[in-house]
Amino acid sequence: MPLPFIFSTGIEEGLSKQASFSGGSEIDHLSDYALYVRGISKTFSNGVVANNDVTFGIIKGEVHALLGENGAGKTTLMKILSGCLKPDRGEIYVNGVKTRISDPRKAVQLGIGMVHQHFTLIPTFTVAENIALVSSSSRKLELKAVEDKVRHVSKSLNFEINPNTRIEELPVGARQKVEILRLLCQDVSILILDEPTSVLTPLEVEDFFRIIRQLKNDGKSVIIITHKVKEALSISDRITIMRGGKTILTIPSSQTNASELASYVVEGFIPNLKRVPTARGEPTLSVKGLFIKGDRGEMAVKGLDLSVHSGEIVGLAGVTGNGQKELVEALTGLRKVEGGSISLKTCDLANKPPNFVINSGISYIPEDRMRRGVILGMTISENLALKRIDKEPYSKKMLIDKEALDKSAKELISIFGIKASDPCATAGSLSGGNIQKLIVARELTNAPNIVIAEQPTAGLDVKASEAVHQKLLDLKSKGAAILLISADLDEIMKLSDRVLIVFGGKIVGEFSSDSLDMEKLSKLMLGSE
Amino acid sequence: MQLKISKSTYRSILKSLISVALALVVTSVLFILTGANPVLAYYYMFVGAFGNFSLTVETLVRMTPILLVSLGLAVSFKCKVWNIGAEGQLYMGAMVGTIAAVSLGNTPVTLLISIALCILAGMAWAGIPALMKTHLGINEVITTFLMNYVAIYFVQWLIAFPFRSPDTLFPESAQLPAAAILPIMVPSTRLHLGVLIAIFLAIPLVYLLMMRSTFGYKLKAVGENPEAARYGGINIKRTMLMALVISGALAGLAGFFEVSGIQFRMRGSLSPGYGYTGIVVALLGQSNPIGVAISSIFIAAIYNGAFEVSRVLNQPQGIVDFIQGVLIIFVLSSESIMRFLEKKGVIKL
Ligand SMILES: Nc1ncnc2c1ncn2[C@@H]1O[C@H](COP(=O)(O)OP(=O)(O)OP(=O)(O)O)[C@@H](O)[C@H]1O
Ligand SMILES: [Mg+2]
Repeated sequence: MPLPFIFSTGIEEGLSKQASFSGGSEIDHLSDYALYVRGISKTFSNGVVANNDVTFGIIKGEVHALLGENGAGKTTLMKILSGCLKPDRGEIYVNGVKTRISDPRKAVQLGIGMVHQHFTLIPTFTVAENIALVSSSSRKLELKAVEDKVRHVSKSLNFEINPNTRIEELPVGARQKVEILRLLCQDVSILILDEPTSVLTPLEVEDFFRIIRQLKNDGKSVIIITHKVKEALSISDRITIMRGGKTILTIPSSQTNASELASYVVEGFIPNLKRVPTARGEPTLSVKGLFIKGDRGEMAVKGLDLSVHSGEIVGLAGVTGNGQKELVEALTGLRKVEGGSISLKTCDLANKPPNFVINSGISYIPEDRMRRGVILGMTISENLALKRIDKEPYSKKMLIDKEALDKSAKELISIFGIKASDPCATAGSLSGGNIQKLIVARELTNAPNIVIAEQPTAGLDVKASEAVHQKLLDLKSKGAAILLISADLDEIMKLSDRVLIVFGGKIVGEFSSDSLDMEKLSKLMLGSE
Repeated sequence: MQLKISKSTYRSILKSLISVALALVVTSVLFILTGANPVLAYYYMFVGAFGNFSLTVETLVRMTPILLVSLGLAVSFKCKVWNIGAEGQLYMGAMVGTIAAVSLGNTPVTLLISIALCILAGMAWAGIPALMKTHLGINEVITTFLMNYVAIYFVQWLIAFPFRSPDTLFPESAQLPAAAILPIMVPSTRLHLGVLIAIFLAIPLVYLLMMRSTFGYKLKAVGENPEAARYGGINIKRTMLMALVISGALAGLAGFFEVSGIQFRMRGSLSPGYGYTGIVVALLGQSNPIGVAISSIFIAAIYNGAFEVSRVLNQPQGIVDFIQGVLIIFVLSSESIMRFLEKKGVIKL
């Protein structure tokens, strides 16, 4: 048996070996960069090479977009830059000076801060408390000073925020801004944003980009990871593409276009969504006069009616916080219904436990994938069997058949293109997009009657997004009823047969896909009609 | 032999080993302060536990209640239900088993019925805080802990008054009938049937339950991420309730085995804190049945070895409690210690 660990000498191998640049010209060149890395490699303990000899630089005062398919190594590289991960090899220069970034605190001292792919704010704390948690330099909690700073910094960015609001009361768009505020309150000059826009509505994205432009004007450098090529083109000065753990290309945004970028990201990608004309069938899901309470006891859904027929995709558009979350939770048995009815064909679903809902053939892709959709400490095959562990072939007579679990996991991994080293690896070792693929794979197999898809393609690259869209269309043509909730209006319009607009806990408008009036839709979403 | 052990398993094992090593180092300091040579002390500890056949058997006998209790606690800790009440569940199991055995007298089914009832008593005593948790939302740490005192004093009252032995002066129960005594497996030792049941039945069963069954899967899911478990259709309340009740069952069994294998009477001093020792063991074994089994024998060896150390080196008996206390501190902080060592590059996985 191999030794479980080795004692290292404590010297950073590789880093200490050579200082390969000596010419003055290169130093000048390096000092143009706020941050420059080369030869960065990182292999995880399970043998996955996430970064392989990466060279990457960000010029002072630029907005730099980082694109690449799921599992390309973007997050890993950024975590190395922000001190969350240690590279195996490679050199890091901050403002032309070679440095080691041992931990996030050191990174912040060097002026580098990161907003992670998944929220790290504590929902029950206020904005100021969350910020004080990381930025208080002394042991004393100086909440007053932090509040003042929050007011000051947010004012300089032209957005209103009350430092005493609790995070859970804020829409996702505002939370993303708080994440940025938190970095700015720590006086960082290089901001790394890992997929900040993946669940924002187009309006929120616009507002968010306004802030990024402002940061740029203030001389900050910004690295932004995104899967949406249009966003990358609109916000960035330069774009770097990663593939298979390497940076393969860096180009100025002005010298490229969306389709070219898409084909760089996923080699030779050409959109090719196939639609089979499907006749709409009988109503499968019917909701009548539904009332549901929100977290704070207020009525969040107030007499909502909706129906989804078999062979139909219904898009639910609306600004977050208008009862969508409560509606979806009630449909899936996770929240109590105060009044009204939910039925699947003739079967009553209101106030039934989640297990009952699952057994009725209702699939649910949750928006909050890290908290709800996946158990990070369990293996990929265990996660894929989450909803069917009591059924054959996964278990017989209460004993789990591990081989059946792994076999079915291997199939799903290949069908859905999940980038995983081994079905027995923990779900936590997957990249963000691959976690999403895992959830989608679990929910879209076994021929569901109803699919409730919340942000089904958040964090997925162009190819994986299209694969999910294709899968949803296929299910529809096989007679499934699909309810699609997405912040991405493009996605809703692309897939839906009907679009419903939700506002204030009610459906306030309906369009069929061929008579969509964008202007009217936006107005309805804001409740001004 | 081809053993497939994942990196994370290595890490877990290493974590426990580091905790043990640190606890022994700190205990060495105590030995030095009290004027003993730590190397010698550990030598006598080992000799006291495994020095010859009968000492080894005694260590196994000592291990039995610890093993049963900690296997049960592993089940409950796996889903993050913190049962601190194994001591009380042990006493209730022992008491009810004793009452059953004494009342039934010598019949062919006395032993079986007593065992069944002691398990039920442990389950019931754990079931009360379990229901309070799932139906009223009352934290189990407090209720299980406080119910220890209720159980112990209640048992003391029972053996002082209604079930007091008619033929002795002390507050203790009557002697168990011969039919309720666990048979000795190796002549002229105290190796009773319960030891074998614990090793050859309880370990495999708990292993099967935790590592192979759908219930084990649910335990883990609820422990790791209750929100995702609920979303996945797992009944969280039922899983937690079952986990607590199962740990009560094993604690109850441990209690009655002590009576019918060792003491033959119910006494107020039945357990020197096995219910609490089980917590240390379950944590040290990281709620893994194999880890728990190994940890049980380790702690049992310290128990018995400490007698030898105190006899030969004139050390206080309290070192057992001292080591356990230090151990729990290091086990609880082992994740941080591990991260620190990894960050400093001392350990690489
Ligand atoms: N902690 C970890 N342990 C093992 N492997 C990991 C770990 N974190 C990431 N990986 C692997 O490293 C590779 C790169 O992951 P990374 O998170 O950097 O991808 P990404 O480019 O950010 O992808 P995405 O767009 O899906 O977020 C993936 O194959 C992933 O499975
Ligand atoms: Mg990522």
